[in-house]
Amino acid sequence: MLAVENLHKAYAGRPALRGVQFSLQPGEVYALLGPNGAGKTTLVNILCHLLKPDQGHVWLQGQPLSNRNRCWLGVVPQENLLYRHLTCGENLDFFARLYGVPAPLRPQRIRSCLQQVGLGARQHSVAHTLSGGMLRRLSIAIALVHQPKVLILDEPTAGLDVEARFEVWELLNTCRQSGMTLLMTTHLLEEAERVCQRIGILYQGRLEAEGSLDELRPLIPAREVVHIQTPDELGVQDRAVHLGLTQRRYSQGLSFWLPEVLTLEAILAQFQGLPITSIARQPVQLEHIYLEVTRQSRA
Amino acid sequence: MPYLTESLAVAGRILIELGRQRRSLVFWSVFPVSILLLIGTILTGRTGLAFDAALNQAAASALVGAGFFFSALGGTVAILVSEREQGTLRRLFLSPLRGLSYWLGICLAQGTIGLGQTILVYGVGAIWGARFQGSWLLGGLVLVLSLMGYVGMGFILGSLLGRRTEDVNALVATFGLPLVILGGAFLPTSLFPQSLLDWAKYDPVYHMNEALLAVGADGEGWSAIENHLRFLVGFTVLAVAGGVLAYRHMLRQERYL
Repeated sequence: MLAVENLHKAYAGRPALRGVQFSLQPGEVYALLGPNGAGKTTLVNILCHLLKPDQGHVWLQGQPLSNRNRCWLGVVPQENLLYRHLTCGENLDFFARLYGVPAPLRPQRIRSCLQQVGLGARQHSVAHTLSGGMLRRLSIAIALVHQPKVLILDEPTAGLDVEARFEVWELLNTCRQSGMTLLMTTHLLEEAERVCQRIGILYQGRLEAEGSLDELRPLIPAREVVHIQTPDELGVQDRAVHLGLTQRRYSQGLSFWLPEVLTLEAILAQFQGLPITSIARQPVQLEHIYLEVTRQSRA
Repeated sequence: MPYLTESLAVAGRILIELGRQRRSLVFWSVFPVSILLLIGTILTGRTGLAFDAALNQAAASALVGAGFFFSALGGTVAILVSEREQGTLRRLFLSPLRGLSYWLGICLAQGTIGLGQTILVYGVGAIWGARFQGSWLLGGLVLVLSLMGYVGMGFILGSLLGRRTEDVNALVATFGLPLVILGGAFLPTSLFPQSLLDWAKYDPVYHMNEALLAVGADGEGWSAIENHLRFLVGFTVLAVAGGVLAYRHMLRQERYL
């Protein structure tokens, strides 16, 4: 559906993208992760046909991306970028006209898009009266009004509260079920894990890792990660070195990779004699993979 | 056909927004009418003209010097600045909207407002017996050229210099008001010293005002305003071309997400 082939882009000699390539199958949701400055925005600008790559190609349904076929794309920018004094229906109608949706189809298309995003009852509400979550859903509806084949979303839940975030995830799931291909950039690893089938990790312009979560898991030679809270971190670290465990620091604090699944009792037994305040274990998560990939790339 | 659909969409969107913020619409109606009555009263008092004749004279200034100037030029700058501030320009760049359609859409919206102002100014004048003396077609041509020129100028100022809402008034005042005053919109050019008159001949507002005055108040025909029209055509072409170039420049700067 969408294929990116050996993309290179530099700004004033400073490389922003270095040989990025990946492809998306129909109905697939792909997350593009990466720290600030990794090249995500440059890549999205190229995918939206706003920026030309120095080298490489973008293919959309087997054709090179051009002005002619860019209307197969729907784009949801990071900010909502809506006409605040127009109603939801008028916002959609305006963009439907720009995308050349035929006049007889427009009223029905607008209604169904608003229903799809859960704003069916707000067609005649002026945009500035909507909540943040509703505005975001309206922004997504605008991107859907011309029935694109590929939807590109730039941090779709940035700045939303938890409830609104869940609503957007549900909506994206509905889009995927309808056969649409989705590509999204995000800083939220939970979002990528929940919504996306495949994940690409971009670091300093290079796609360092790519695949489904199961395909990415072997990047960490561990079955589980154990998080330990202790007043004697040095003692615990020494013991971990003695046990041959790899040590990392995640959002939960001091953590170790376990090469095999152990019971909590077995783990505690290994740290016997040390003051452990709390201990938790979990399977390898995207957070661990992401931090490992960026760590190795930095090194 | 896509140009027409897109232009109508842009114009419709601007007019709906304007209609929803009724204040601007009311101000743009009140302003040229108040200028018409004020200048008409001054002319009657100072020159001894009958009020209907004075309103005939004042109509040109009220329209091209006040109404069109602030709505078409100031309005265009305001549209661009507001789209920039809201970020909707970037959303437009993501769509297949063509730059020319965008420009035509703004022209169409301003043309509709201008038509409303024209009807209002001559309608109010007609209450006191003022009548448009010359050819409506010729008068219409002057008005259309003035409008397109103003929109082009608005595009140049809005694209190159307008960043925030606060810039709109400063831009219109700095670049526009001297042109309006030099054009004889508020003070008759007969009061100007020769040195200012020499400068006024390079001022498009002067030619708009003089041409509309000659047709509307004195009933003059083509030959009397030919030179003004030539200047106006040249100015309009330059303003539109400059506007398109400035828009392209803005497109290069603003299009990225």
